[in-house]
Amino acid sequence: MKRRTFVSGTAALAAAGFGSPAVAASIKPYSWDLNPPTDTRENFIAWGKARGEDSVFLGQRWDRFQALLKNKDVWGAATIRAFLLTPREEFASISAAIHKRAYEHAFLDIGYGVTMSGPHIQGRMTNVIDVKRGEKVLEIGTGSGVQSAYIANLTENAYTIEIIAPLAARTRALYDKLIDKGYTEYKHIKTKAADGYYGWEQAAPFDKIIVTCGIDHVPPPLLQQLKAGGLMVIPVGPPGAQRVLKVAKTQGADGSITTSREDIYGGKIVPFVPFTKLDGDKIAGTHNR
Amino acid sequence: MTVSVDLDNRPSLSFYLSVGLVAGSIIALQIGIMRVFSVGSWAHFGSLVVSLAMFGFGLTSAVMCVGKGWFERHWEGAVKGALLAFGPLMVVCNLAAQQVPFNAIFLISDPMQKWRLLANFVLYFMPFLAGALYLGVVFLKAQKTFNRVYFADLVGSGLCGLSVLLAMYFFKPDDLIMAPLLLWLAGGVLWFVAMGDRRGIAVIVGVAVLSAAVHYAAPPLLGIPKLSVSDYKGVSYARKFPDAQRTYERASPFGYLEVYSSSYLHFAPGQSDNAAFNVKKMPENAYLGLYIDSEGPAGVIKDLPADETPYFRYLPMFYPYLLKKDPNTFVVQFGGGISTAVALKSGSRHVTVAEGNPALLTAFREDRGLRAFTGDVLNNPKVTVIDYDGRLYVAGTKNRYDIIDLSLADSAGLSSPGGFSIVEKYSYTREAMSAYMRALTPGGILSVTLWNKEEPPKSVLKLYATMVAAARDVDGGKDVAQKFYVVSSYLSTATVLYKRDGFTPQEVAELNAHTKAMSFDEIYYPGLKVDTSDLKQILSDYHDQFFFTGEQADPTGPSEKEPNDKPPPGAPGAPTEAKADGTPPTAKVPATVLGRLAWHYLINGGWQKEVADNYVFDTRILTNHQPYFAAYIKVGDLLKFTDRLELVQDEWGYLLLWATLGIATIFALTLVLLPVIFGWRTIFSRYPGKAGTMLYFLCLGLGYIIVEVGMISHFILALSNATVSASVLITGMLVFSGCGSFFSERYLDRARTFMPKVFLAIFAILALYAFTIDYALDWIGTLPYALRIALCMLLLFPPAFLMGFPMPTAMTTLGRLGKDHMFLWAWGINGCFSVIGAALVPIVATSFGLPAVVLVGAFAYLIALPAFFSVLMPLQPQATGVGRPSAA
Repeated sequence: MKRRTFVSGTAALAAAGFGSPAVAASIKPYSWDLNPPTDTRENFIAWGKARGEDSVFLGQRWDRFQALLKNKDVWGAATIRAFLLTPREEFASISAAIHKRAYEHAFLDIGYGVTMSGPHIQGRMTNVIDVKRGEKVLEIGTGSGVQSAYIANLTENAYTIEIIAPLAARTRALYDKLIDKGYTEYKHIKTKAADGYYGWEQAAPFDKIIVTCGIDHVPPPLLQQLKAGGLMVIPVGPPGAQRVLKVAKTQGADGSITTSREDIYGGKIVPFVPFTKLDGDKIAGTHNR
Repeated sequence: MTVSVDLDNRPSLSFYLSVGLVAGSIIALQIGIMRVFSVGSWAHFGSLVVSLAMFGFGLTSAVMCVGKGWFERHWEGAVKGALLAFGPLMVVCNLAAQQVPFNAIFLISDPMQKWRLLANFVLYFMPFLAGALYLGVVFLKAQKTFNRVYFADLVGSGLCGLSVLLAMYFFKPDDLIMAPLLLWLAGGVLWFVAMGDRRGIAVIVGVAVLSAAVHYAAPPLLGIPKLSVSDYKGVSYARKFPDAQRTYERASPFGYLEVYSSSYLHFAPGQSDNAAFNVKKMPENAYLGLYIDSEGPAGVIKDLPADETPYFRYLPMFYPYLLKKDPNTFVVQFGGGISTAVALKSGSRHVTVAEGNPALLTAFREDRGLRAFTGDVLNNPKVTVIDYDGRLYVAGTKNRYDIIDLSLADSAGLSSPGGFSIVEKYSYTREAMSAYMRALTPGGILSVTLWNKEEPPKSVLKLYATMVAAARDVDGGKDVAQKFYVVSSYLSTATVLYKRDGFTPQEVAELNAHTKAMSFDEIYYPGLKVDTSDLKQILSDYHDQFFFTGEQADPTGPSEKEPNDKPPPGAPGAPTEAKADGTPPTAKVPATVLGRLAWHYLINGGWQKEVADNYVFDTRILTNHQPYFAAYIKVGDLLKFTDRLELVQDEWGYLLLWATLGIATIFALTLVLLPVIFGWRTIFSRYPGKAGTMLYFLCLGLGYIIVEVGMISHFILALSNATVSASVLITGMLVFSGCGSFFSERYLDRARTFMPKVFLAIFAILALYAFTIDYALDWIGTLPYALRIALCMLLLFPPAFLMGFPMPTAMTTLGRLGKDHMFLWAWGINGCFSVIGAALVPIVATSFGLPAVVLVGAFAYLIALPAFFSVLMPLQPQATGVGRPSAA
């Protein structure tokens, strides 16, 4: 390992602050006109460093972004911006081992029997629900908090519910820490520790709902709290081999409500394309094993 | 003090008992570790870890073979050391392994998991090494009377295997390690009694007390788990719910059963999304979660008041009740009781329900809490309970039913870490399906619902093909096209209805209206038109999903493969296609289209050639010979998946079998060849017939275990339960073979003429069993349970007894011929190839069927016949043999 990489990597770990008290603001606060460059890696890293982020992770974020683009896991400008603005490494700061794997194409163990999904499926889900600014989005299963972090870059109205109380508290504390640090976009996220089955009635109806927990049926309260014309996405299957179910709610001219289940790519079977592997700040190999 | 003992010359009874108990303790430890893995993480890894731990025998054999002189000189010390280490190692290694749990789902994505897996291998290997060393040295010292020692070994293993199953009633899985510990203690004490070593007795009792104390006291003192249950097991989630309470707990050989209550548990398997807008009152706090070996939950449903049952209409299992009023209903598997509740609340005049797991029946019949919660459903006067597999009952009964239901019986179908287990699903085979179909009244309906959560679809295609094949076996296979109605819901469930006298157009219309109201997708009904032009593209797209070899599609421009590449939905310009008749566009889901095409070809012919052969996964039907919803990867594609394993995570159970076989083969060959490399020109130079002898013990090692493990799967047909089948087989095989071993001594002098007859008899019996035992077992399965076990034992006796002859006859012969090194080596070969054989069974079973498994075993014994003569070759005089390896 190159010494420079090692030093900055260590600095990043220290910045993640395992067990450290609240950090002073060191990140340029959020605004809707923050626009990370998408032209070159160098420009992006320089821009990110100016915001106050770590160059190693910025490099990894850029490389993963390239893989997401290649695989059509992000395609909309707003989702691309959300991905480039979101410090995944902060949400993976569970342990040193997990932290440094934040941008890998892999789901990570964050404790409590919960995984942080990989960037590809998260990018795809975020893009597919196509959140417009001002829309209300509900997430069931806060987990690491990273999915709502993406949403927070798309709308001011992100709501997220976590069923496991200690995990909910941990992620809430993380949002607070990040807000203090300068990631003020996370003020857009309202959190709650509760049984997500019943949704968030006080905040309903929602334009989009993301359900990231194992279910044997779509909870009726969530379908009720979804606006007509709204979309719900649900990853189904074991982590790593998940398929994303899309449920659309439509209201007919006669007022009758129907739902339809769709494949996330609308009937198109996506061919397997080997992903690139990030090794430190380099792309190595053709596939992440 | 120690007295000098000659183990070749009339050792005492306590010596034989010691061998039996220590050997039994090893078996008990194997079973115990597998239970620990089943409850804590994943059963398949338990089998893998235990299989590889059995290489303790191979390693011991190799080491002893090379260092035979040392072991002969220090045999008493070696035995004593091995004995005193075995017990404490069990406890300490088990506790240590629980502190480094590994998680199957991260095996590929997290580099640390490999090391945790390795740590588990090494830790669980240690006690087996000690146990094997004890047996190895004892065998070495008693080689001239090996028959008797082997008799003690086998019978002890068999009976102790049974005793550990009984111990499962008394010890919860986290304390089950006490069973092998107690057996070890008994065996150890008897050893020191046989040796006249009083101090040894005191020491081993002290060590045992200390070991037990560590097991019980260390975890609470150090704050470490005795059995670490993965955070990803179903029960771990329930335990985290703030209001979770365990309302029932019972350990038994039929599984570690727990029931939890929590307001966070919600069940409505496969419920239509439309329920949200049409059902006035969804029941709340209506479920308990049922977990077997930490897996689940299966929903236990409350006795709901009438105003909370309308949602039943929105469950896929409700379909047959649309057409049948006041039916006499049969529920094939009780499970958590949802099907039974739906049957009762949907107007059934009588419900007969079967359940093959006695632990479940006991819980629902006897536990006050469960009885109150379920309205005492199993004691309901309208309910008749069959306490064995529904499949067996239906095949034997003269009763006829208006509705037969087989719905999502196993669990809530949530994501299971590691994916499908390779378990026999006899309730879903062609034979079982045709039995259900025959047990219908003329207008009766069979309703089968399965999870449809795979994309690309796998299980459901097997189900479709199996049911059509079964229908062709019933009533002359006439008018099959009229007899099916099939619906599915994307990434939820699929339901197949079979009506014995065919659906009328009015019935089809009624069902279609319901399907529309549920927003389910019609997959098949008599008269459904299907556009077959989609087939080729879908099959090739599914292939490309895993094996795309072309250029990566450029998202910014049209590519050759995808001209004018459509943007993903939600992106600007995504197409919306309205139908010609103006109806809104239906969701285009390839899996649904493939389902319709599958039915088109199943009903009209061409399924195999047009669809199955070209589909990326294996879709062969389930039969009693291949009863698996698993092994979907075609064997030819195995290697192609090695660099993209995360795409087929639900296949890891199957892939692990191949990995186990690969690892076992490498290990086994290394261990077997180690003594050869060390001593081909020295140790073995005087031994003629090396290759033949190796082949002989290889065949016995493979043959015996293949027959034993293969028969466990066969016998589930009659015994309905994998645990009982395994216990009957282990006990029966080992005890009867032990008897064979004992008797074989009488024929030792005539071995040259007698043994060929034995091999031929074994081959003949096994070959006969391979093709006919299913018929016998099907019949036995309809008899009372105790009689079933007795008859199964009777069936086992002839081959098992004879299979007890070859190993001790050859071992004793080697001992008497003075081929000491070969004696040890042979024992190791036998052990190593047992591991390979055990790994081979599920692969042969899933690829070629269970009869093929028994046939492989039969041929192993046939090949052993000529190889036996190599074993009989006497030692060459030293002068002629030096430095010249002899051919077999």
